[in-house]
Amino acid sequence: MTRMGMGSCISRKARKVRRAGLLPDWGLAFVLLLVMPLALLAQPLNADVVYLQGSANPTFNLRFTELLQQQLGPETEVRRFSSLQTFEGPPGPVITLGQEALTRVLEASTQRQVLALLIDSDTLAGVAENSGIAISTIWYDPPLLRQALIGRTILPQASRMALLARPGDAGRYEPLLDELADYGIEARVFLVTGDDSLIPTLSRALSFGDFLLATPDDAIYNPRTIKHILLTTYRRNRLVIGPSHAFIRAGVLASSYVPLPDYAARAAQYVREWQRTGNLPEPSYPDSFSIEINRQVARSLNLPLPDREQIVEEVRALLRQSTMEVRP
Amino acid sequence: MNHKLGNASPPVKPAGLMLVLGLGLALSSPQAGASESEVPPWLALGETDVPEGGYSAVPEVLTTARLRQPKARVPGTTTVISGETIRDLGMVSLADVFRLVPGMTVAAVESNQPTVSYHGTVAYEQRRLQVLIDGRTGYLPSLADVDWNAMPVPIELIDRVEISRGPNSAAYGNNAFLASINIITMSPENTAGTGLHVQGGGPGIRNYTAYHGRTRDDYSWRVAWHRKESDGFDFQYDTGSQLRKAPIRDGFEFNQFYYDGVVQPSPQHSLELRAGIVDGIDQDDPIKIGSDLGIQNNPDDEVRDYYLQATYGFSGLDKHLIEFQTSYQRYNRDKDWISCIELGGTPAPMCARLNEDLNQHRLEFELQDTWEINPDLRLVSGLGYREDGYESETYFGGSGNIYQSRLFANLEYTPLYWLTFNAGANYEHTSLMDDSFLSPRLATNLHLTENQSLRFVYSRAVRTPDALEQRADWAYTPRNVSPSIYSDLEGQRIDEEFDSVSPVDFSSYYTEAPGDLDEERITSREISYYGQFRLGSGVVSTEIRYFYDELRDLVAGIINIEDYDLGNRVAIDQQGIELETALDLGDTRLRLTYGYMDQEGWYTANDGLSPDEQQETVAREGRLSVRHTGSLAWIQRYSNDWSSAVAWYVADEFRSGPYQRADLRLAKTVHGPRVSYDIALIMHHYLNDNPLLSRDNNYRDRNQFFLEAGVRF
Repeated sequence: MTRMGMGSCISRKARKVRRAGLLPDWGLAFVLLLVMPLALLAQPLNADVVYLQGSANPTFNLRFTELLQQQLGPETEVRRFSSLQTFEGPPGPVITLGQEALTRVLEASTQRQVLALLIDSDTLAGVAENSGIAISTIWYDPPLLRQALIGRTILPQASRMALLARPGDAGRYEPLLDELADYGIEARVFLVTGDDSLIPTLSRALSFGDFLLATPDDAIYNPRTIKHILLTTYRRNRLVIGPSHAFIRAGVLASSYVPLPDYAARAAQYVREWQRTGNLPEPSYPDSFSIEINRQVARSLNLPLPDREQIVEEVRALLRQSTMEVRP
Repeated sequence: MNHKLGNASPPVKPAGLMLVLGLGLALSSPQAGASESEVPPWLALGETDVPEGGYSAVPEVLTTARLRQPKARVPGTTTVISGETIRDLGMVSLADVFRLVPGMTVAAVESNQPTVSYHGTVAYEQRRLQVLIDGRTGYLPSLADVDWNAMPVPIELIDRVEISRGPNSAAYGNNAFLASINIITMSPENTAGTGLHVQGGGPGIRNYTAYHGRTRDDYSWRVAWHRKESDGFDFQYDTGSQLRKAPIRDGFEFNQFYYDGVVQPSPQHSLELRAGIVDGIDQDDPIKIGSDLGIQNNPDDEVRDYYLQATYGFSGLDKHLIEFQTSYQRYNRDKDWISCIELGGTPAPMCARLNEDLNQHRLEFELQDTWEINPDLRLVSGLGYREDGYESETYFGGSGNIYQSRLFANLEYTPLYWLTFNAGANYEHTSLMDDSFLSPRLATNLHLTENQSLRFVYSRAVRTPDALEQRADWAYTPRNVSPSIYSDLEGQRIDEEFDSVSPVDFSSYYTEAPGDLDEERITSREISYYGQFRLGSGVVSTEIRYFYDELRDLVAGIINIEDYDLGNRVAIDQQGIELETALDLGDTRLRLTYGYMDQEGWYTANDGLSPDEQQETVAREGRLSVRHTGSLAWIQRYSNDWSSAVAWYVADEFRSGPYQRADLRLAKTVHGPRVSYDIALIMHHYLNDNPLLSRDNNYRDRNQFFLEAGVRF
């Protein structure tokens, strides 16, 4: 029950702020009982509560809540979603952290709008069809266009890029391929049909591409496969970009990522938009990003690299050429 | 996730949740709060971390100091040619690869034997290079030259070729005299799947390669078959009084089978296994062997080689990588023919079957420790043992062995960010001379910027004579002798002892080495620059090398049964400058090499040879030396999967004149989602009619066309 215990920490700060008011606790409760139904009937605007269903990791939940609370300010209270089981609280969207948290919220049959964070597109597509409630998200996985442009910036001579995909997923990269063509990058998808075809397909892909864009497909890029992928790629003197900065330590050359404070800030923007309009914005990527680079790999590959900030700036400049980002 | 890779894989968790869990872990770590970019170990990727300083997959320079080093830290100029470049340029023979290296010359002796050297010297029996194939010694055990035709390396499976230009005995022992070549084939982890490739055209060249392999977590393997055929040169000139074109028998056909495996039961242990068989015919021309032998049929070599190799790596000790390698190689060459020889004062020529059968073997053990004390201080050290064995009734009058044992080490130290030292040495004892030799190398690399280095290298090396130079006991043993008046010669070894009691003079049919040769020595100084720059949307890399070498006590003369005469009698001073530069613009790749060498040799022995003979001996030691070497390659990609490659090779000049060749390759490579295939047209154009090195190495047509097709899935 660690989660419950830590959950009590989530809103401690907010409650403390509330207790600083003029009324005693019982008085506050009485006023709320009178006012809340009116407020609910009147409008959802200017609501000052947001409900959070955290992950199974309390430390992360605490960190994210602190960051979110900082962004929202004292006027908005971050409450545990589980508090709604015993008390139908004031209006407010629900923020979930991860797939399991989203599942829990949906199982609770809530009718509130949900901002599902740290999920992938497959998960969102699956639950959006079945739940019947409004769900939005802020993507955490880096947009592939940005990742591809990092590859282009690091390897300016690159004109060909290879992707690996499972047979059913090839079509989802078509918009990306079209967009990359505008940047002079010819991208091509190579199909991994099964375990035995991963390395043969990768080998063929590397014959084509100047670098490999790793996608957040954990059936292809996972702890078991990444070593073989990197071995094969570097032996061919090619680079791997992505799928996320978590792979940098394993030997991937570079990836972009969203710093957690920026991610929390974006979530706060969504909450404020809900407070203003009553609806969560459409799913989007955070505008801000940073880049993680494995300098040791770069040195070993004899790659002259610009500074990280310079790469970020160059990628931003390239991205300004495109107004639409593409989801995998 | 409705489709997962592999039945044995653990259930794949949703990425988002794992991310959350990992972020939590990262944040709970002591440094977690320090940086928001701290990488969360959310996929438990820690187990797959590449060891610090040891990115084994990255194609750093490996050969020069036995350490994986970026070029900036390598103690000497090193050319790295990728297998991809070799294939893109449409190479049809392995020896041609070295035309891309400044200072290297490629020619042919006996018409059917490619010969390769760095900074030239002798053409026949060129034995001053160390050649390694995946780390095992690749030159022949008894006569230390290289059989490039039968070498078990298909071009399709070359990962890269590293050429450490300059003496490299400090790392690889006595034969790494002028340079060392390391041919590295693709790991079976890299070639999982199936590949078929065929290439044919020109002078009867046909290369077929087929491979199949798989990669698993703990075991990867590949089996391959390679067949190579060539008709060789088109014609020679016969030895009559008038030069007339005559057909030449100098082709070959080999079947080669390989197995490569990598076993990795745990991250700390790895075992590489290799095995191969070479079976085929290497044709030889009766005229080239010697008209005085009266050869009546085809004196071809029947080649039956095989090798076994195992390399064990252990990384379980902190900061140490222990590697143990052993290999056994067998070179079996059967060569016989019918000779009919006019013997002075006899009524009829003697006809008999003569042979030059030669069985050789090599057994090697090597233990090496790479100790990374910290990223700026690394020591590689080890010991090695080698047994070179030979058995030949004709060449040696029996069998023999040479035993070599050695210690080697190289320390790489970077005390300051702008400075790297390398100090290495090899101490080797050889039973052939019952003596020991030390070959040191010292190098200082100044890192002018992050991507520019200036090197100063001083090295000394020795080459000890090989078995045929030191122990040749060359005499034929006739069999199936006819007519019957010569029956006394049946099975009799015609050597000096027999000749002394024979009424017939056989003195031109046997010879014996005096066995008094000393080691050759070289002292080399190098100043070189390496730089890499971003240029517009491309990357340009440049390496310039100035060298000044002193070669002393070179074993010079003739290895020939009629006139066997060798001695430590030639010295050479040579200096020059070499350039290797490449520009990579993505769709356009340009590569330029140029080597200039000024070589001066002189006769040093006081052995009674006439000035003309001395001059001829010195000239023979420069037969493969040319003043200018160079290459220019342009590889261009076009839309719709078309590509082209244009290359120009020059060696200016051999005694037979300059060698100039231009190659063109036009290819269409289709990269399908499930299968890739390519077709290509290759043209070799010789810019002149000069024979290559010898007047007998001639093609009829200055244009040769080849077709190539391959498929991979």
